[in-house]
Amino acid sequence: MSLQQLKIPKRKDVINEFKARGGKIAAVLPIHYPRALFRAFSILPIELWGPPKIDNSFSGSHLQAYVCSIVHNALSFLKIGGLDEVDFILVPHTCDSLQGLGSLLVDFVTTTKKVLTLYLPRDKGEPGYEFLGHEILRIYTILSQITGLHPDDALLFDAIHIEEQADKALAELYFKRKKLGLGNMDFYRLIRTREFLPAEHFIKLSQSVLSVSAAKSFNGLPVVLSGIIPEPMELLDELSRMGISVAADDLACCGRRLYQPGVSMNPFRRLSENLFSAAPDPTRGDSLESRIQYLKSLVYKSKAKGVIFYDVKFCEPELFDLPDLKKALKGQGIPSLTLEVDINDPISSQMLTRIETFLEVIR
Amino acid sequence: MYSNLEALGIDVGSSTVKAVAVDGSGVILWHHMESAEPRVVPQVDHFLKMVSEKFGDISGIPLVATGYGRRLVHVASKQITEISCHARGVFKQLGHGGTLVDIGGQDSKVIIISSTGAVEDFAMNDKCAAGSGRFLENTADRLRVDIDKIGKIALSSTEETYISSTCTVFAESEVISKIANGIAVETILKGLHRSLTLRIVTMIRSLGSLPPLMLSGGVVKNPAIRYMLSEETKEPVVLPDLPQLMGAYGAALIALT
Repeated sequence: MSLQQLKIPKRKDVINEFKARGGKIAAVLPIHYPRALFRAFSILPIELWGPPKIDNSFSGSHLQAYVCSIVHNALSFLKIGGLDEVDFILVPHTCDSLQGLGSLLVDFVTTTKKVLTLYLPRDKGEPGYEFLGHEILRIYTILSQITGLHPDDALLFDAIHIEEQADKALAELYFKRKKLGLGNMDFYRLIRTREFLPAEHFIKLSQSVLSVSAAKSFNGLPVVLSGIIPEPMELLDELSRMGISVAADDLACCGRRLYQPGVSMNPFRRLSENLFSAAPDPTRGDSLESRIQYLKSLVYKSKAKGVIFYDVKFCEPELFDLPDLKKALKGQGIPSLTLEVDINDPISSQMLTRIETFLEVIR
Repeated sequence: MYSNLEALGIDVGSSTVKAVAVDGSGVILWHHMESAEPRVVPQVDHFLKMVSEKFGDISGIPLVATGYGRRLVHVASKQITEISCHARGVFKQLGHGGTLVDIGGQDSKVIIISSTGAVEDFAMNDKCAAGSGRFLENTADRLRVDIDKIGKIALSSTEETYISSTCTVFAESEVISKIANGIAVETILKGLHRSLTLRIVTMIRSLGSLPPLMLSGGVVKNPAIRYMLSEETKEPVVLPDLPQLMGAYGAALIALT
């Protein structure tokens, strides 16, 4: 099966359709945020991972050269009118660069959009839950003031339940990925529709994919992909061409957001539980040890032959952990390869040589 | 005419193109090297013509291509990266593993080779010319010194100046300013060699060196690089017989299998 048969809508069409029904749009920067809270206010979160391959020179007067291309691109995109259709911008405190961008948008860069920030706790204990619950409540209060809406617990839980179903659909796609018959590119194009499709549409799309039995599964030498985003996405086609199958991932935009449903009957606590439930992530303060264990489990479960760290240049949270992650994997006999990219650059032939060499080593 | 030709390897590098022909035991029967032309396909055709003139009909002889231009060698039965090929060639020639440093025209590589000849780990400096032969070529050109003599001249200096720039282009500007300050050419050259060597040593340390230290690639001809690598790593440096041909030789050995 090919994704072309599934007719995945474009982001712009999704935005227009949602707005035509009276909804509003929030551009959301990486990585974790309470989707359901926004949906309860009839706001559709559309994620902004860059976008890649744009002229990002418009951000140079505000951001240092050592800030990653995702953050540079996001600011440039805003300045060239890429976010004109958007009503709100949410900047989670994922890293220092994004916190810096949040401050810039609030204090220095003129924008007609309402900018919200979300401070994520670095502690997963009870104080962390409490802090995040308060943060989500703070955003609820701001959205109430702006929209004049005051969704009650029932309405909040309606939104929470549908997002939890979408999370479950995402997890099922991951669980059955080998049987879907999708190549690397098609699988990640499908998964990444969660970044902009309303949950109900994503569930339908997932069901239509899961209902079709693949004529043949996509086979290749299995590897685990770790990092932030698989951009430029041509990388995935190149991996397929070389005979590599991404068998599992620890990507911030994908596998690191396989959230579990919460249990609390307090909606704010429930949303906190949800955000805390996903795979270890350095931007949420998860320990190095938990990341090592998680990566090892991905390798063993997927029978991967190695790990490719595909990191965005200057991404501090990823790069801080990298030497220790590689060392720990090496100690377990798991080979790894590190690639660094700027999301505006094409895949270089040198990078392809590195991947091919890695393939020759692990084969 | 040779009747025992069994396999061919061709290494289409950024500075030079190399070809090696081997018999069934991996013994080198013939080799050839030329400066790389911008148009890869005609140059590869020219190489194959030379092989045919030497060995007669080569149809059916397995050929493996390596180097940055390997994908343009359409007649090759396989394309293999230069890292695997260099490792294979050096292991066959020296008969042991270790840490192989290959300094090419466009990039440099450090390859950890196991005691069985397998590539255990590798690092590449391919984003910047600062760790490559091009770094020396550019600065030699700026100093009007023959590239084949810069190593010897550098070693003749008793003094050394520090080159702070980590970029080939900026290093060139730094060289100009040092000349303007009256610093001797040989002193500058020694500093430039140190700069390149330290970049390679950083890569070696990032992988964790496995002795002995082995060298391949065109820059190996430069005695200052050999000396300084040994000095910085405190390891003796081991060289194969034909260091520049190790990629093509490894390719031929892979073709043989």
